[in-house]
Amino acid sequence: MYFNIKHQERYSRGELLLRSLLGGIYIAIPHGFLLMFVGLAGQVLSFISFWVLLFTGSYPQSFYEFQVNLIKWNMRVNASLFNLIDGYPEFGLSGDNENIELDVPYPENLSRGHALLKALFGAFYCALPHVFVLYFRILGTAIISFIAFWVVLFTGEYPKGMFNFQVGTLRWSLRLNLYLGFLTDKYPPFSGAILDDEMPPSKGSLHVTGENTAE
Amino acid sequence: MAYHTIPQPEEISKREKEDGMGAYLMMFAGIAAGLPLPILNLLASVIYYYVNKDKSRFVKFHALQSLWSQLPTTLMNAVLLFWTLQIFFFESFELTDVYWGYLMAVIIANLLYFIFSIVGAAKARKGKMYYFIFFGKLAYHQAFLVREERETREAINKPPM
Repeated sequence: MYFNIKHQERYSRGELLLRSLLGGIYIAIPHGFLLMFVGLAGQVLSFISFWVLLFTGSYPQSFYEFQVNLIKWNMRVNASLFNLIDGYPEFGLSGDNENIELDVPYPENLSRGHALLKALFGAFYCALPHVFVLYFRILGTAIISFIAFWVVLFTGEYPKGMFNFQVGTLRWSLRLNLYLGFLTDKYPPFSGAILDDEMPPSKGSLHVTGENTAE
Repeated sequence: MAYHTIPQPEEISKREKEDGMGAYLMMFAGIAAGLPLPILNLLASVIYYYVNKDKSRFVKFHALQSLWSQLPTTLMNAVLLFWTLQIFFFESFELTDVYWGYLMAVIIANLLYFIFSIVGAAKARKGKMYYFIFFGKLAYHQAFLVREERETREAINKPPM
């Protein structure tokens, strides 16, 4: 899994103000309304995929791609509402954003035992500890968002450390969702940093992976 | 009537097999959504069919067979649901023999539908065709029939003269 958001050199102050004041109306409501229905479809597919996984040992590829595209859509909206990217997030499962990189390779085989373990006890051994820690991290994210808002408003630049922290929070929650959604067997680390074995999608030398590791 | 050749299991990709299988598993949509309403499964099957119908004839066949075979049980379940609600709300819990008979019929129909769908899903995952009574022929006809292309399509947008 690889997730990163490109840090822009300059951020639009006008868009920042617009998003912060009216983002709930023109971004969160229309996207949230559609995501509610698509999310329901995702939930249905996740339930079905669990049983398929339990019997066959593999997650249906089409369903897997649907889930990953749904996560991508969610990430576009979240990144926009967190003021991490400029521009209006694209609608739809096929939508994309040049500043967001998300690569979740399809695993040919997944562990059935792991799937059963997650379904029965995932809430206790994974969701509970992660949500507990993430709760405090999200509080920090909210505070940093507030500070970053003023910094961007006056300077037009998003401080790199703050930016990395915000992206790290999204990455952490993403890993948690992937694990609990049966999309991976790898237990999510208690960190938002990019791990050593997480490689960016092949795009030549345009990527700088080390940027977000130092939080 | 001419029909397209039916693909053999080795000619069908893993993805197509999985998509074919997925069509039958839409019967769990209502349970998965936490709303056991009969119409949800049908709705999920309709959406699944429209999303997947252009992928391949194999997938289209299984999606159609799943969709058509779901109609009778959905209707029976819907009737049972409304009948039960009516009895509970307006007829002070008086259960007639006709109701019990219908309930048994619905349970048997659902069991048959469940068993056939699971078998269909398993066969589809192996890349095999599996024909339900009546619905199998109907789905085959719709998915594999060679349709004549319309030779001359009348243009909708025309120049001003």
